[in-house]
Amino acid sequence: MKNYKLLIPIVAFLLVSIFLYKGLYSDPTNIENANLAKPFPQFQLADLMDENKLYTKQDLLGEYTLINVWGTWCVTCRVELPFMTQLRQQGIKIVGVYYDNAAEAAFGELDVRNTRKDVTQMLAQLGNPFQFNIYDEKRDLSLDLGVTGAPESFLIDDKGTIIAHRRGAIDHRVWQNEFAPLFPSASGSQQSLEQN
Amino acid sequence: MKKLFIALLSFSFVLITSVAQAVEESYPFDDAKQQKIFGELVEELRCPKCQNQNIADSNAMVAIDLKNKTYELVKQGQSKDQVIDFMVQRYGQFVHYDPPINMVTIWLWLVPIVIALALVLFVLKKGRREKESTGVDAESLEQAQALIDKFESKGKS
Repeated sequence: MKNYKLLIPIVAFLLVSIFLYKGLYSDPTNIENANLAKPFPQFQLADLMDENKLYTKQDLLGEYTLINVWGTWCVTCRVELPFMTQLRQQGIKIVGVYYDNAAEAAFGELDVRNTRKDVTQMLAQLGNPFQFNIYDEKRDLSLDLGVTGAPESFLIDDKGTIIAHRRGAIDHRVWQNEFAPLFPSASGSQQSLEQN
Repeated sequence: MKKLFIALLSFSFVLITSVAQAVEESYPFDDAKQQKIFGELVEELRCPKCQNQNIADSNAMVAIDLKNKTYELVKQGQSKDQVIDFMVQRYGQFVHYDPPINMVTIWLWLVPIVIALALVLFVLKKGRREKESTGVDAESLEQAQALIDKFESKGKS
């Protein structure tokens, strides 16, 4: 009886230690996106390169699509462009959501023209993974998606449901572990889809 | 020392009020009630990009966007709860500094209470046990009493 009582503080101490030890290595920025497993939000936004061309959610449906929130001002986005270009060559549909950095800047023709120049230059240099780019001028779409910065990526299925999310760059390892298994053509397709 | 304390206190008060004013200046309201709701919201909503700042204090791009959105929604006449729901739907519970009590968060309140109660019970029980039995048997007590008597009588004589 006495030994049993002695165990209580030791076990309590161990549990607290394990809890704190785990906290030591947890990533506080790794917060699950609230939109996961929900339908992609509705939107109506212009093409980055042509303000007369409008896109809606309908343009994203029909096949599995990777939505990449990015900007030329974002350094990490540069890192993932070459890898995503490879993905496009493998037949993955990738659509860009352009996240403008000019938070307070008034929308003006000159501003967009500069952005377009930067984008064209950068994509020519590092590869162009995008079928098209949606210009999220006021970042309303990004806000609806719960985006906290660039780059962020969402994988949506053919019906427009968000099935995966990544905060930060996508590289080969991330793609193989988190995104590739979700495609219906991958091995055990239906199973891995249901799990997510 | 007291003077220094008062000086520090008034200085921090000036800082706090100037921050509050700065937020209010760039977001003008006609309605005092809406202004109050907006002021409370920017204090209570957390910047999703920063680790521990509300959106009133942060100048991260996403915090500015959330502030603008909050302003827009409050101006439309939405209530405080409606705006919080809007933000939580998009950014999860992380975005609100006052999370609801549910099966997961209830432990934050329960565990300290349980520990405090357990400690109080432990101390009470231990105290009572020590009072009841002094751990000395009757024979030794008698001997001790005899010794005391002996010394007392010695002192008298």
